[in-house]
Amino acid sequence: MTEIKHTYQAMFLLDNQEVRKGYAEARDWVRSTLEKHGAEVSVLRLWAEQELAYPIGGRHRATYLLGWISGTGQSVNEAKREMYLVGPVFRVLFLKAESIPEEELAYGIQDLKEGELVIPEDLPEEEEEEVYAEDLEPNVAEGEEAAAEGSSEEVTEPETPTEPTEEAQEAAAKSDGAEAAEEEPGEDVKPEEESSNV
Amino acid sequence: MFENVEPEIVGPPKGEFDYKDVETFTRYLDANGRLYSRKRTGLDAQGQRQLKKSVKFARFLALIPYGA
Repeated sequence: MTEIKHTYQAMFLLDNQEVRKGYAEARDWVRSTLEKHGAEVSVLRLWAEQELAYPIGGRHRATYLLGWISGTGQSVNEAKREMYLVGPVFRVLFLKAESIPEEELAYGIQDLKEGELVIPEDLPEEEEEEVYAEDLEPNVAEGEEAAAEGSSEEVTEPETPTEPTEEAQEAAAKSDGAEAAEEEPGEDVKPEEESSNV
Repeated sequence: MFENVEPEIVGPPKGEFDYKDVETFTRYLDANGRLYSRKRTGLDAQGQRQLKKSVKFARFLALIPYGA
């Protein structure tokens, strides 16, 4: 089976965290991966560093690398498969092209000067949790409503019971004994009127 | 009862569609990111197919959103 070489336009989305470590390293990784699988890289340049239209894998910004390569379909597919497994590239698009434009050929393998690529820091994600009353358990929902109603009132903490002293215990024992003595005769009292009638 | 309003025709672009040229083909999308029909874009069949492909490539590369 003959393998025909084609020219491809390729766009690589690079992880900004990897590009911060070094743009040249990330670019060289892409280049070496393509060449390892038999593709020739004619142009590899920075296209943009911009915000993504939708987050991809928690990333909100990415660095776009534009490349023009020539190789077989198999080499391109193998390179793409490896890029999705390891490395700084998280999305790739290869498009077949008729030829490489002269404007693009002038870029070649682009090196950037210091300060040419400024990557802003990632902002922390704001987690917006929408809580609906229907999702809450009934007791929790009722408790929250009750708390909201009684929020204006002052809340007093219940007093903790203190341990009774020895004197208080003795006094309590005496009073209990006296109460028991008073109650005993009362229970045994029988109505005298009933007995007299008999 | 129903008014037959003629849609505003956008017209063909100056050159070919390119997925990187977002500003050009966003004219052919509505607020929800959906493509206008041929009746509204005023493109021929080939142009409409090019536009469709460009939009889909741009969506894949997160240059434009998939929806509103």
